[in-house]
Amino acid sequence: MRSLLVAGNVLRRVMHDRRTLLLILLTPLLFVLLYGYSFSGDPVELRLAVVNEDNGLASVRTAEIGRVTLEVGLVERFLAALPQGRFRVLQAASPEEATALVEEGEAWAAVSFPAGFSNAVVNEALRAGGVRTATVDGRTVRLLPSDAEVDAGLCLHVDDSNPLVSGAGLVALRSAVDAAVSEDGGGLDAQRIMDVRLLYDGEIRSLDYTAPGIIGFAITLISVMLTAVSIVRERTGGTLTRMLVAPVRSWEIVVGYAVAFSLVAGLQAAELLAVSWGVFGIRVAGGVGPVVLVLVLFVLGLQGLGTLLSMIARNEFQAMQLVLILLIPSIMLGGVFWPPETMPRVIRGIALVLPLTHANVALRRLMLAGRGLASVSLELAVLAGFAAAMLLAGTWAMRRQVRGS
Amino acid sequence: MRSTSATLFDSEGEELAIAARGVVKRFGSRTAVSGIDLSVSPGMVYGLLGPNGAGKSTLVRMLCGVLRPDAGRIQILGWHVPSLRVQLQLGYMPQEVALYGDLTVAQNLRMFARLYDLPRAQIRERVGELLELVRLSDRRDDRVAALSGGMQRRASLAASLVHRPRVLFLDEPTAGVDLQLRTALWDYFLSLGEQEVTLLVTTHLLEEAERCARLGFLQGGRLLAEGTVPELLEGAHASDLEAALSTILAEREATS
Repeated sequence: MRSLLVAGNVLRRVMHDRRTLLLILLTPLLFVLLYGYSFSGDPVELRLAVVNEDNGLASVRTAEIGRVTLEVGLVERFLAALPQGRFRVLQAASPEEATALVEEGEAWAAVSFPAGFSNAVVNEALRAGGVRTATVDGRTVRLLPSDAEVDAGLCLHVDDSNPLVSGAGLVALRSAVDAAVSEDGGGLDAQRIMDVRLLYDGEIRSLDYTAPGIIGFAITLISVMLTAVSIVRERTGGTLTRMLVAPVRSWEIVVGYAVAFSLVAGLQAAELLAVSWGVFGIRVAGGVGPVVLVLVLFVLGLQGLGTLLSMIARNEFQAMQLVLILLIPSIMLGGVFWPPETMPRVIRGIALVLPLTHANVALRRLMLAGRGLASVSLELAVLAGFAAAMLLAGTWAMRRQVRGS
Repeated sequence: MRSTSATLFDSEGEELAIAARGVVKRFGSRTAVSGIDLSVSPGMVYGLLGPNGAGKSTLVRMLCGVLRPDAGRIQILGWHVPSLRVQLQLGYMPQEVALYGDLTVAQNLRMFARLYDLPRAQIRERVGELLELVRLSDRRDDRVAALSGGMQRRASLAASLVHRPRVLFLDEPTAGVDLQLRTALWDYFLSLGEQEVTLLVTTHLLEEAERCARLGFLQGGRLLAEGTVPELLEGAHASDLEAALSTILAEREATS
């Protein structure tokens, strides 16, 4: 059995390479820890824009003493009924402002309580047959609905670009509305009074939501690996030395690589999009051009990262391992499979540091909402900053590695 | 890089092509090069002789500016290393083949020639000339990976010469090259010396060392002896280089 000899030799070589050993042990740990901490499936701290034009008062008739005004405060009840940690409430001045927040991606949903909402709900409930009493000035009175017809409609605008988030979020919102309304009974519930308007009319499937993330991830993996392995080969093969002996500056090499592989990545991005759209009917609302532009900008940064890793790695194998270990947090936390909205606060903080998170936000906004490059200017700035920082770091590492140690 | 303005001269006041003073390089706890001084005049063919692991390649890499010394000063043609001015004038053939295996011989040579901003017509002419020299004209459009080991080294040598460097570092340029071509290449090296090109060649072959104008004998990271072949023979009271080197080694061991 010479297989045992071969096996023994393989393991001995692994044990000798301490860096590889560390990477081998760390990789599975990183996967399972990040998964365990980041995946909850439930959205956390969804931004909810609330417009409160209601005064919290209900005007009703009584059988005993004529009209009275009750302090109901349904909006306060609604806010109190929102599940802890699930939502973060933003106050908006008008329904228009709240809707704009949703359309710009600043808020997940907008809920507008119209003027007279408390009044309307209480009267609707009374009209629906709930015989009720109240205590006014120490006297118990029977309540009757007001004669005036009032509309208890509650308008809700929801960003349904992520079916997972919007589904879970809507369930939570409904039960909060139910809780606020149910006390006054009368068969009123969220179903009857809530007018839900979906930003994308429910046209976005889970597939559409995941696709931009997968594209971003595929480009990340391919670019970093391609660059890291190519430069490690140049280094171990001596051609990098030959270039550096010539009057070539480190940055010229780094930028040269970035230009070449950005073109490659542009091609890959176009290919990914073409198949996504052509074969699977993935939504590409904003057109291919802006998407490719975002990806190429992102790839520039990844080239710098690849250069940096290639300078740390001693050989191709280590380069692959390093790429893997650096990319695992991106896969898990970068919003590829499940959105940062569902991650606990601390983990979400880490996610916000990852360039892939911002690339994915930009890709989703372009592909799902199709609002053009202006809508992703913040993400473009982040990606440009990432590119500049990584290309500089790559250049620095190359100079240090070859000329330094 | 710290820059000192003083240029290193030899005792006659002639400007040196290669000058190293107190150059040290450590890798972890191992000292690969420990305090070497080296002076090579323009147009000289200088041989660095020594067994495997003597520190020849490490020294050459520092002289070329691809490895930073831990201590000491290095100047090429009076300029500090590394600097762009030196890089324009310097040629280096590393011990590994250092070519792109997936490109053809001619593509490799053109790529490295273009790094020096040579005009295209001049590059074409020069590439043809060098392929003739290393006898690879008929293999110019073959991928480097498809060549034999000796041919790959010849291609690598051609790539190091493509920009007509004034100072040339060749790290074991004839390893794996057959005897006939080796003699021809050495004839060429000596002719470069006549064209005022300064050569520093490492070798562990005595018959190659004998053809150098000056020799440095490197052992354990130290320059044990230095001089022309007659000087080395006289100093060691020996009739041939092999005997001289044995004597030098023995003396060294006796004193240490």
